[in-house]
Amino acid sequence: MVLTGPVRTTGTGPTRRQLLGAGLAVSTLAGCGVFENKPAPAATTAPDPLQPLLDEALALAAAYDRAVAAKPMLSARLAPLAADHRVHAADLAKLIGTPSASAAPSGPVVENASADPVAALRTAELAAQKTAVAACLAAPPDRAGMVGSIAACRATHAEALR
Amino acid sequence: MNEQLAAAMAAEAAAIYAYGILGVHLAAAAQVNEARAAETAHRGRRDYLLGKLDQPEAAPAAYELPFPVTDPATALKLAVHVEDGVAQAWRPVLGVSQGPDREAALAALTDAAVRASRWRRIASITPWTMPYPGKAS
Repeated sequence: MVLTGPVRTTGTGPTRRQLLGAGLAVSTLAGCGVFENKPAPAATTAPDPLQPLLDEALALAAAYDRAVAAKPMLSARLAPLAADHRVHAADLAKLIGTPSASAAPSGPVVENASADPVAALRTAELAAQKTAVAACLAAPPDRAGMVGSIAACRATHAEALR
Repeated sequence: MNEQLAAAMAAEAAAIYAYGILGVHLAAAAQVNEARAAETAHRGRRDYLLGKLDQPEAAPAAYELPFPVTDPATALKLAVHVEDGVAQAWRPVLGVSQGPDREAALAALTDAAVRASRWRRIASITPWTMPYPGKAS
């Protein structure tokens, strides 16, 4: 744990140059079998627990955009809700440390091709609220407030879509 | 956690007082019912907090309102103000609680935020929602 971070950051394992550059500490630790036994954490970074929340925010914002594109008269009602999700996405990306637009959102596909896009969005918001509640309950203290507010916001969206 | 719960308690007590004042000024029956339901919910939260706090402080007999409440419009405005304030009082509890306590705090924050949105909608105050309910602006 002490040395794996700085040495193995490329995911392909340490090069000879890196090992030599790391000097004496590496060779002594290598002698203890540290490198054979410990997989490099940096190579397989686990996604941040809030990544699903970020993906969901982007998916919801996109779903609102599609609904407005299909029924422009809904714009005044739906655009502010989409804006809330974009604020969440930007802030979550900042918190997690990933660019928010790096990948296509892998969140839930919000089906709004139905006759009643508002009802479909409401269903999606209620599902997203549940995700956020679970994330809040699992979050460390410094994240609980923000994630809790996101959960509450999604609940207010469902209310606004009634 | 006691300090944060005491703040939530103070907010709930103020909300109960505010609904007693503003309910009188609401005209529409649906709104009166909504206000009654909200007041009942706040009483439930106050009772929950009474059971949680070691030494709950007695609520003041009266409060200074942030603006005069004289008609349905100002009554609705006070309802929005109160629910926003209750949400803001509960949010800090999240970071100092775990498990069922955090779940209860989140439910209180969420309920207040939903009621605030409902009152905004009734009063035609836009936008109805905000990105971070409970976050002090």
